[in-house]
Amino acid sequence: MSFFDENRPLSLATRLLGLILGGGLTLLSIIFGFIQGVPVPAIILYALTTITLFFFGWKFVLPHFLIATEKKDEAEEGPGPFRLILIKYYPALIVLGLILIAFFILGAGFDGFLSGWTVASLVILLTIIVATRTIGPVFETNRSAFIGIMVLIGLFTVGAFNIEGFSSSSNIRSMLLFAAFLGMACVGQTLVALLGGLDLSIPFIIGASNVGMLYLISLGVPPWLAFCCVLVIGGLLGVMNGLLSFRLQGQALIVTLGTGFAISGSVQIITSIGTAYGGNVFGVVPGWLSNLAAMNGRTFGIPIPPTIVIWFLTTLILVVGMRMTVYGRYLYALGVNRISAKRVMISELKYWVMAYGLSGFFSALTGALLLGWSGGGFIGVGEQYLFLTLAAVVVGGTSLMGGQGGYGFTVIGVLVLQVLTSFLVGIGLDYEWQQFIFGLLIVPMVALYARTPHIRTQI
Amino acid sequence: MSLTDVSTTVSSDSKDASPGKSAVATASAGRSDPFLIVPISLFFILMTFAVIRSPSLVSASGIGSATIVATPLILATYALMASVIAGRGTVDLSIGPLIGFINVTLVQLVTNGYFANPFAFFGLAFLLGAGYQLIFALIVIYVRVQPIIVSLSGFLALSGINLVILPRPGGLSPEWMASWGLGRTVYSPPLAVLAIATVAWLLFTRTAFFTHLRLMGSDERAAYTSGVPITIVRIGAHIISGLFAALAAVCFTALISSGDPSQGTTYTLIAVTALVLGGASLAGGRAGVFGSALGALNLYLITFVLATFSFGAVQSFVTDLAYGTILVASLLLTLVLPLIQKYISNFSPLLYFVAIGVVVLGVTLHSVMGYGPLSEAVVPPPFPGPLDMTAAMTGIFEVSQLDPTTEALREAARPLIWGAGLLVALAVLARVAVTRGHSREVAPVIFLIIGLIVLGVSYSMTREDGLLFQQPTVETKP
Repeated sequence: MSFFDENRPLSLATRLLGLILGGGLTLLSIIFGFIQGVPVPAIILYALTTITLFFFGWKFVLPHFLIATEKKDEAEEGPGPFRLILIKYYPALIVLGLILIAFFILGAGFDGFLSGWTVASLVILLTIIVATRTIGPVFETNRSAFIGIMVLIGLFTVGAFNIEGFSSSSNIRSMLLFAAFLGMACVGQTLVALLGGLDLSIPFIIGASNVGMLYLISLGVPPWLAFCCVLVIGGLLGVMNGLLSFRLQGQALIVTLGTGFAISGSVQIITSIGTAYGGNVFGVVPGWLSNLAAMNGRTFGIPIPPTIVIWFLTTLILVVGMRMTVYGRYLYALGVNRISAKRVMISELKYWVMAYGLSGFFSALTGALLLGWSGGGFIGVGEQYLFLTLAAVVVGGTSLMGGQGGYGFTVIGVLVLQVLTSFLVGIGLDYEWQQFIFGLLIVPMVALYARTPHIRTQI
Repeated sequence: MSLTDVSTTVSSDSKDASPGKSAVATASAGRSDPFLIVPISLFFILMTFAVIRSPSLVSASGIGSATIVATPLILATYALMASVIAGRGTVDLSIGPLIGFINVTLVQLVTNGYFANPFAFFGLAFLLGAGYQLIFALIVIYVRVQPIIVSLSGFLALSGINLVILPRPGGLSPEWMASWGLGRTVYSPPLAVLAIATVAWLLFTRTAFFTHLRLMGSDERAAYTSGVPITIVRIGAHIISGLFAALAAVCFTALISSGDPSQGTTYTLIAVTALVLGGASLAGGRAGVFGSALGALNLYLITFVLATFSFGAVQSFVTDLAYGTILVASLLLTLVLPLIQKYISNFSPLLYFVAIGVVVLGVTLHSVMGYGPLSEAVVPPPFPGPLDMTAAMTGIFEVSQLDPTTEALREAARPLIWGAGLLVALAVLARVAVTRGHSREVAPVIFLIIGLIVLGVSYSMTREDGLLFQQPTVETKP
C-alpha cells in the first residue's frame, strides 16, 4: 500500500550517514561473532540479515519520520511544545500514570515483586505504550500492524527473559503449530469480515470435518480420497452458507450459526448410524496425516511440521493475492462501498459466496489437520475457535464493518494471541485466568488503532 | 419503516387517541408489523406438536415446569433486546457470561452466609448487572470501540472470572428461593418476575425515552442532529439490559438452585437466536418484548418436542439439526414477508396470535381429553377390508372410544369453546372497524376482548376440578 509505494527520496547526507552506520553495525556484529566463536556461515548469515534489515529500515521507515517532523514544523504557533505533547497524549499519559501507580502498589504489597526482570518487563511495556503513541501515528495506513508487531516483540522479549525455555526451538515450534491451526481457521473469518459479514459456522465445520474424515477412513475409503472429500464438502458447505446468507447480510451471524448447528448435528447423526457409540468414531489415522500436523512432523526431512509450511504458503498466497489480483482488489472494493462497487459491475453475490466458500474450505482443512494432530475424532475440537477467530481478526486490525485490513493483519493477531497464551501458560496461569486476561486486553489493543470517529464528525 | 411491535402499537394507540393528533392517527391506523408472523406461526405449530406428542405439557405441573425453565431464557432475550435496539450492531455476546457472573457471585456469597435477605439479594443482582452494563456503555461511548468487540472482550473476561469465582457447579441458593424451582403450579414466582419485567418494558415503551432509543437505533446521526441526548439514551438502554440480565440470573439461580459457571456460551447463543427468531433486527431499532418472548419460547418448545421422540444416542444431534434448520428456515421466511405485506396491509400480530391461539386451544383440548396412549389404540389397517370412512378421517387424531368421563368434560368445555370463538370473531370485527373507519376510538375494544379471553383461560386453569387441564384418568394407567 502507500507505505511502500510512495517514493520519498532522502538527501545525500542522510544516505551517506545511513551507509556508514549500517556498515559499522555489520562490522561490529562480525567482530562480536568472531570473539564469541560462532561458526562462520552463521556469522555471514547474521551480517547479511543485519545489513539488509538496516537498509530496509533506513530507506522506508526513516522518510516517514522526516516528513512527519516537517509537518510538525509548520504548526509552530499555539501552545508551547510541552503543552502540545500534554494535549496530544493525555489519555496515554493517564494510562501510563495508572500503570506506574499499580506497579508501585504491587511492589509495595508483595515481597519479591520488585525483582530485576519484572522491572525490565515494565520498562518494555512502557516502551511499547510510548512507542505506539509517538511513532504509531506516523504509520498512517498500517498502524494496527505496527502496534501488533510491537506487542508481539514486547511479549516475546518479556517471555524469553522471565520463562525458562520460552524461546527454545521446541516451544517456538509448538507456538507456531497452534498459531497455524488458528491462522488457518481465521482465513475465512478474515475474508468474510472484509465484506462486512461474520461466519460463526467455522467451529462446527472444523468439528464436522474432524469426525467426518475419520468416519470415511473407518468405512474403508482411502485416506487421501477422504481428505479430498472432506475439503470439497467443506467448500460446498461454505458456498451453501454464502447463498443462504446473501439476502440476509445483516443477520449473517445467525444464519451461519444455524447452518453450523445443522451441519454438526447431521454429521453426527450420519456417523452414529449403525454404531452403538453415539458420537464417537474409531479409526486409524494414517501416518502421513499425523506427520502433517504432529509436533515432530518433518517437511522433506527438515524438522518443521508441514502444517506450519502450509500455513506460511497460504499466508503468502493470500497476502500477495489480495494486493495484486483483481479478485483481491474487488473484494476490498465491495467491502468499502457496496453500492459503488456494484456500479462498476462487480458481482456482489459472486464475491460473497466465494468468501464463504473459502471459509468452509479452510475450516474443513483445519479440521482434517487437527485430526492428524490429535489422532482421534471429536466433534467439539473446534469449539474454542468460535470466538477466538473473531478475537484474532479484531486484534489484528481487520474492521468487522468491512473493507479494512487483510490476512496479513490477522496473522499478526493470531501470533499475538498465541504468544500471549504461551506466556500466560508459562507464568503458571490457569485456563480461566488466561481467558480473563485475553478479554481485558482486547479492548485496549483495539482502542489503540480502531476507534470510530465521534458522531459529530460523521454528519 | 415498520418499526412497530405489538407493544408500540399499544403506545401509538393510546397516544394517537388524543383529538389533536387525528391526522397522525389516520396515517398510522392499521400499521402492522409483519415480522411477527413467523414467530407466531412457528409458536403455534410447535405448540400443536408438543401438545399432541405429550399432553402432560398443559397440566398444571407441565406449564409450571415449562415456565421456570423458559423464564431465564426469555429474560436473557429481553436483556439482549434492550441493548440491540440501541443500534451500532450492539449484539451483546457477553450477556450469557454476565448472567453466569451474577449467578455465581450471588451463590458464592449466599453459601458463605451473606446477602441471604431477598432485598439484598435482588439489590446486589441489579447492582452487578447494571454496573457491568454501565461500564460497557461508557467504553462504547468514550473509548469508541465497536460494541461487538467490547462484548467479545466481556465474554472472554467474564467467562474466565466465573470459573475463578466458582470452579465447578455447586453452592446453595437462598432458602426463600427453595420453592421457586419446583414448578408444581402454574403461578410460580418466576412467572411473576417475568410478568413484572414484561409489564415494565411495556410501560417503558410508552415513554419519550423509548422513542429516542428507537430513533437512535435506526439512525444515530438523525437522532444526534435532532437533539436526542444519545449518550444518556445509550447508557439508559444498557442499564435496562443489565437489570433484565439480573432478573434472568435470579431466575436461573432458582431453576438450578445452585451456581453454574459454564452456562455462558449456551445462554448467549440461545438469546441471540431467540431474539432473531422473534423478528428483531440485529442492526438496531426494531425489537419487541412480544417477539422476544415468543422467540425464546419457540426455542424451548423445539427442545421439548424433540425430547418426546426418543432418538436414543443421537438425541442431542437431532436437536442440533432441527434447531439449526428451523433457525435458517424461519430467517429465510422473513424474506418473503414484503410480499405478504403487499397483500395484507393491515396485519395485526395480536389478533393473528389470538385467532390461531383459539385453534390451537382446540387441538390442546382434544389431546388433553386423552384417549389413551397411541400405542394401545387399535388403528384400523388402511387398505385391507372395506374402508370405514369415519375411521379413516378421524383415525389420525382419534384412536380410541370416548368414555363417559371425557364425554362429560367435553360437555363442560363446549360453552367455553363457543365463547372463545365468539370473542375472536368480535375482535376481528372490531379490528376491521378500526382500520376501515380510520378511527382509533374503537381500538380499546380489541384489548378489552382479548383481556376477556385471557381472563377466561386463566380462570379455567385455576379451577379446582380442572375444567380444562385436568389430567385424564385414562392416562395414569400403566
